[in-house]
Amino acid sequence: MKAAIGYAATVLRSMWRHAGGRFPLVVLGLWAAISVVSLFWTPQPLMRTDGYHTWQSPSAEHWLGTDGTGADVFSWLMAGSRTDLLIVILTVLVAAALGLLFVAAMVSRHTALAGASVVVVDALISIPTVLIALVLAVPMGASIAVIVIACGFGYGLNLARVARPQALLAAQSDYVESAVSNGASGAYVFFRHIVPNILPVMLVQLSLSAGTAVLAESGLTYLGVGVPSGTPSWGHSLATTVRFITVYPLTVLWPGLVVTVAVVALNLFGDALRDAIDPVTNPELRRAAGATRMEEDGHGR
Amino acid sequence: MRFVLRRLLLFVVALLAISVAVFAMLRVLPGDVAAVMAGVNSPPERVAQLRAELGLDRPLAVQYLDWCANLLHGDLGASMLTGRSVSEQVGVRASITFPLITLGLLVALVIGIPLGCAATLARGHRARAAYRLVSIVGGAIPALWSGMLLILLFGRGVGLIGVLPSQGFPAAGWGAPVQALTSLVLPALSVGIIVGAGLMRYTRSALGELAASGYIEMAMSCGMTRTQAVRQVGLRLAMPQMVSVVGLTFAEMITGVMVIENLFALPGLGTGLVTDVGNRDLIAVQGELFMLAAFFLLIGLLVDLAHRALDPRLKASIGGNEVSA
Repeated sequence: MKAAIGYAATVLRSMWRHAGGRFPLVVLGLWAAISVVSLFWTPQPLMRTDGYHTWQSPSAEHWLGTDGTGADVFSWLMAGSRTDLLIVILTVLVAAALGLLFVAAMVSRHTALAGASVVVVDALISIPTVLIALVLAVPMGASIAVIVIACGFGYGLNLARVARPQALLAAQSDYVESAVSNGASGAYVFFRHIVPNILPVMLVQLSLSAGTAVLAESGLTYLGVGVPSGTPSWGHSLATTVRFITVYPLTVLWPGLVVTVAVVALNLFGDALRDAIDPVTNPELRRAAGATRMEEDGHGR
Repeated sequence: MRFVLRRLLLFVVALLAISVAVFAMLRVLPGDVAAVMAGVNSPPERVAQLRAELGLDRPLAVQYLDWCANLLHGDLGASMLTGRSVSEQVGVRASITFPLITLGLLVALVIGIPLGCAATLARGHRARAAYRLVSIVGGAIPALWSGMLLILLFGRGVGLIGVLPSQGFPAAGWGAPVQALTSLVLPALSVGIIVGAGLMRYTRSALGELAASGYIEMAMSCGMTRTQAVRQVGLRLAMPQMVSVVGLTFAEMITGVMVIENLFALPGLGTGLVTDVGNRDLIAVQGELFMLAAFFLLIGLLVDLAHRALDPRLKASIGGNEVSA
């Protein structure tokens, strides 16, 4: 546990050192902080509408103006960040779980299962997430679950496909063979030897998926199958104002800007993380590993 | 030849699987066609009568075979709401969506490939970082937003340089070719920018891999400059891979342009599917989903075959069945 915390601290420190890592850390930190704050406080109450002061320009009272119902745009964006954070976290968890499941099947020692799962992943991967979401929306209506299931499924398949070569390499290695001959169970081998090997690839892929999930949220919500109306989210803010773009262009700018910055941050985060957790590109990690004596678990390169 | 046969077999099997999946999915979901058609508060007798009329009281296998037989004739059934033939509807909508994604793909190619080459050739820390930022930001913009910004810039009546129509498709359709084409320009641009950023990333990574593998250095040691080597040798070597990516991108764009079609009020495939889902027009949704899925499979087949034909290196490798890259 202590080693894990030390490892995380080293990784974060080396990410912070470059501008390309500092920017996403700052944005993601702000995002998390604002999500928490919005649970207790927003500049204006979310549901306070005011028919006399719709489409106001930014002012001291309404920092980014008001929308068509007179609600405060800034407050809604603040509250939206927690919904988007929730969607991102849930989607990433679903994708990670599904991805690991498929990877486990694909590198399984049962050749029939391994072969079948490769074909299944290849076939399912071509189904666009939007179509899955639309089909799910027929019985479920607009809900956060639709986004999470559709995206988690699609990104999980992608993850499995990206991580497969690395996992296969590990599965055929000498240390796995020796573990198996020592009587290790399949699950033990998978979590002890294979997962650590694909972890770097997984983390990068998942942070890219997180960015795509934010984009998917805005798109699906606009199409009416994502976040239900009345629930604050960035996509909701974008979708409710977009119809009036020609009349009040200034109000429409903000939600899109927020989404773009968040997605850029998530993408950069993935890249920075990849550089920081790779012992080849990050000398600091090698030094730390030398000091604390990395355990012989097969992923020390 | 064996490869082609095997790939064709896989296509047929996948098509069958998709037809079963689409058929089953809309049967498993609560609220069948008859219940939806009859309305929420209709008496059970009315629903039962409708069910008999539509043949929904027969065994599922019979219904499925019936549906398949109709599919072979190109008959996807009639929409529950409008009563019009679904295949006809799909045809009309496709005549808007396909030109739109073709235009969008052209824009993306014009943006993505030169920028990808330039990013590979860029020397120096700052230039590289700048290109990387362009590709990341380009891929991070929500389609809705890029469309809006373009409307604000060029939309007729509202934009700073208001020259292009930003809403709808001419009622005459392609009967008024100039108007039809101009109404597709802004949507194609807004989707093209985003897809272009993706293509730029692919071009860069494909060329980067080639450069690392020594082909480019070999060409340079034969007297080419770096720019010449990347453009003439690198691009040509990356061609099979790029054709695959462009093909799959084309397929993805069909659903990728849904938001754009909605924003610009173009009655294309995406807008249509969303409307039909909203109306719970199950017969139409079933037909459209099958058509879309079949199209994705077809593009996948063509891409694999083209990749194989374009890249002799694959034939040389033993077996060579790992094509679905």
